Amino acid sequence: MVSQTKSRIIEKNRLTELLDKLAHDYHLIAPVRDNNVSFRHVESGSEVTLDYINTVLSPKNAFFPQTETLFRFSRDDSRGFGIEQDDEADREQVIFGIRPCDARSLRLMDMVFNGQYKDSYYLNRREKTTLIGLACFDPAETCFCPTFGIDPASGEDVDILFSDIGDRYLVEASTEKGAALLDRFAEFFAELRGDEEQLREARKAGLAGMKKLDVSNIADKMAPLYGGDYWESIGMKCLGCGICTYLCPTCHCFDIADVSLDEGGERFRCWDSCMFPEFTLMASGENPRPNRKTRVQQRFFHKLKYFHDRNGELACVGCGRCLKYCPVNIDITQIIEDVTSGKAGNE
Amino acid sequence: MEKPEMSENIYLPRMATIQSMRPETIDITTFRVTIDGSDGTGKFEYKSGQFAEVSVLGVGEAPIAITSSPTRPGTIEFSIRRVGELTNALHELQPMDEIGIRGPFGNFFPLEETEGQSLLIIGGGIGLAPLRSVILNVFDNRAKYGKIDIIYGARSPQDLVFTSEYEEWQAVDNTRLHLTVDRGDEEWKGNVGLVPTFLKEIHPSPENTTSITCGPPIMIKFVIEALHELGFSGEHIITTLERRMKCGVGKCGRCNIGNKYVCLDGPVFTLKQLKEMPSD
Amino acid sequence: MKATSEEVQTRVKKLFEDGSIAHFIGYETGSDSLRVTPCFLKSGQAASRLVWNPLCANNLSKYLLDFKNVEGKVGIMVKGCDSRSVVELLKENQIDRDKVFIVGVPCSGIADREKLLEVLGVSPGEVVAVEDDVDAFLVTLKEGKQRVDKEKVLRGECLVCKYPTPIVYDVLLGEAVSSLPWVGDDYSLIKEQEALSSEEKALYWNRELSQCIRCYACRNICPVCTCSECIFDKKAPRWITKANDVSENLVYHLVRAFHVAGKCIDCGECERACPMNIPLRSLNKKVEKDLLELFDYTAGIDVEQQPPLTTYKVGDLDEFL
Repeated sequence: MVSQTKSRIIEKNRLTELLDKLAHDYHLIAPVRDNNVSFRHVESGSEVTLDYINTVLSPKNAFFPQTETLFRFSRDDSRGFGIEQDDEADREQVIFGIRPCDARSLRLMDMVFNGQYKDSYYLNRREKTTLIGLACFDPAETCFCPTFGIDPASGEDVDILFSDIGDRYLVEASTEKGAALLDRFAEFFAELRGDEEQLREARKAGLAGMKKLDVSNIADKMAPLYGGDYWESIGMKCLGCGICTYLCPTCHCFDIADVSLDEGGERFRCWDSCMFPEFTLMASGENPRPNRKTRVQQRFFHKLKYFHDRNGELACVGCGRCLKYCPVNIDITQIIEDVTSGKAGNE
Repeated sequence: MEKPEMSENIYLPRMATIQSMRPETIDITTFRVTIDGSDGTGKFEYKSGQFAEVSVLGVGEAPIAITSSPTRPGTIEFSIRRVGELTNALHELQPMDEIGIRGPFGNFFPLEETEGQSLLIIGGGIGLAPLRSVILNVFDNRAKYGKIDIIYGARSPQDLVFTSEYEEWQAVDNTRLHLTVDRGDEEWKGNVGLVPTFLKEIHPSPENTTSITCGPPIMIKFVIEALHELGFSGEHIITTLERRMKCGVGKCGRCNIGNKYVCLDGPVFTLKQLKEMPSD
Repeated sequence: MKATSEEVQTRVKKLFEDGSIAHFIGYETGSDSLRVTPCFLKSGQAASRLVWNPLCANNLSKYLLDFKNVEGKVGIMVKGCDSRSVVELLKENQIDRDKVFIVGVPCSGIADREKLLEVLGVSPGEVVAVEDDVDAFLVTLKEGKQRVDKEKVLRGECLVCKYPTPIVYDVLLGEAVSSLPWVGDDYSLIKEQEALSSEEKALYWNRELSQCIRCYACRNICPVCTCSECIFDKKAPRWITKANDVSENLVYHLVRAFHVAGKCIDCGECERACPMNIPLRSLNKKVEKDLLELFDYTAGIDVEQQPPLTTYKVGDLDEFL
């Protein structure tokens, strides 16, 4: 159903110009191809590529950067310190080309960074960002977002959804923020011609064969598997690198550290991974997760159970990055199937 | 605990000045600090059992249990063992140096719920630090509680902390302090033996009593077993968990145990709660 | 002829049955027919899971480090390149020779999944199997077959491989391969890079390494990165933080290249593991070329030959200290 809020179309040959304008007026982040496709800050529309299924790194970097200065400090005249904060989080951002799976992941990240304590760094960026999504009609074999109730052709979690329906893009704004942006750049958009819905349905045919796993009650099914041998066999393969966690759009673990320079320094936070051996290592030398079995177990329990226990949602959006890029092909879809079928309990 | 407003930055520390540093043992020192504020005694409201993220700007930050009691406002105390990068840096500081404090974080010991009960407080080594907050708190509200038994042990007489306060504690009404060491020396006249063994010898009654334990994980394990044998139920066995923490506000994921965050849902847990949590 | 999966399965089953091994590390099919994943067996029962095909890129020798203190002999499948890292592990006494039973499989090249899919022009779901056919790969699709020229789709390290047959083994499955026809000057790319000016080199590496996300996959998958506590994980002294910063990335990659100097045998796993497609092999290949020219040294071919950077000979170019 074409969204009621505000729908337009844009001719394909006008898109680059629109992106130029967006890049000029905002801090525009869009997919760029070099060694692979990643979300990057662009200064013109010509840098943007639309020939991709999804980026290597998820767009979480735009809200939760891999490295972020929390504050700087400098020594004052007494033996004390003066503290100053960064203002980078204050700029208006537009992310163009975010896929529905990644857009959903932001809702899950919101649950982490909101709550009893509010993470102003993340929340500021989130508030100041307009999300322009790009509907998926040609998913990869590693994609499985329908498993989590995500419709790859829907703009539920974005402000504006662009859908490539053949000779033009269908543009649907589903929030006030999105509608405002359409108004602002009204010169690029035109009225619907009437056949948009039909064309979209035709494009959606490519989504029919998508993997949709059964995750009903998976949190409960995980519970008795804690400590089981199943995780041993996965832990043996696991290299203990950070690829899955760094590429995962819902992973949010970080470290905080200080850097000392001559007359001051800064405190920053940076991504960290529960897969690294020293993640839970205490100063006393004790490590509650001392081997790859316990760490691998933690990762899957967190995604498929613990996060659900706390927030009512599974912490996976089916983007498939982890299984695509894991050098030893540890496959979360296989694990989900093994848990649901009971195979994981029999090893 | 106060809920911070949207504009408040949860990662920004408040500066505090070290007023005094009292060495307890060869590697543990009690720091007494005041929060810098325009009136010099900045407000910092906390409850016994909570911790703060203490930092030396330029070196790092670590979670440290608050050892002073909120019943004695004005200064905050931390007893810190020299064990890592940050704690080493803290020990190198001097009075009038500034440190950063974020918090207070975590939950707290259920002192209101245990009013009218007797308390059995069991500590090992540096574990006495968070317990001291409870001890002083309870002493300042003495009439609200029944019998108080404090069982405390350390590796050797030189490793006992807060020794300068024992006389004061023993003088409090209906309160007994039982000390033990793993290994004595020529001057030591007290009990020699591990805390869990000592606990069984003392054989306290579980009747209308809540026990609070803190110490090395292995000690906690055996103390809990002993308390079970003595007839204490899961809700009346309380402990505080130690985990590597970073943000203190449930976001960085480090202190995640099962579906709990030690910094948000703990560090104080009843045995009943612990039993529902996975072992990592 | 290259050994078949069935031959591997039969042999491994026998090795378990006659007590030669108590564990086995091999390959099995992964998420789709173009992926394999390491397979760990404790008995011959599940030996039918094992595969051996042109997609078996993983260098399994890293996992030998996990079996150091585990009881029982561990069997492992190694290609030519993998056997060379086993030689390096033996040199360092990381594993005992009599702790491992090496099943060598001569290899005529591993297919790069992405290149293969591009040349085939199909989606992964259409591929049923990939077999070795001397100078080409025979790909069985759901509909029909396709023959793909090897040189178009081989992994980078296979294009320059000088040791297709394992150097060390207890049993060899399949015919030994003496040399691969397409291998020419394996340092041609390095020579191109050497010809660049300092500024051009700096620009190139700064650009490439600015993409590094410090996931440490390259380090963790490398079979000759064997330190139980990596220098980059140390807190005191803290050489680099976890911050993603080009200068720290450079330090990490350059130092690692030196730390594995004389041990790296160009199995290519680091580059394969890298999710950001950084051309890591060329860093190590340059060091490899320098060692050959300065010390006439090649890693992974002779257990007795010690790495030049950890040994001193009277005729060495520099003073010892």
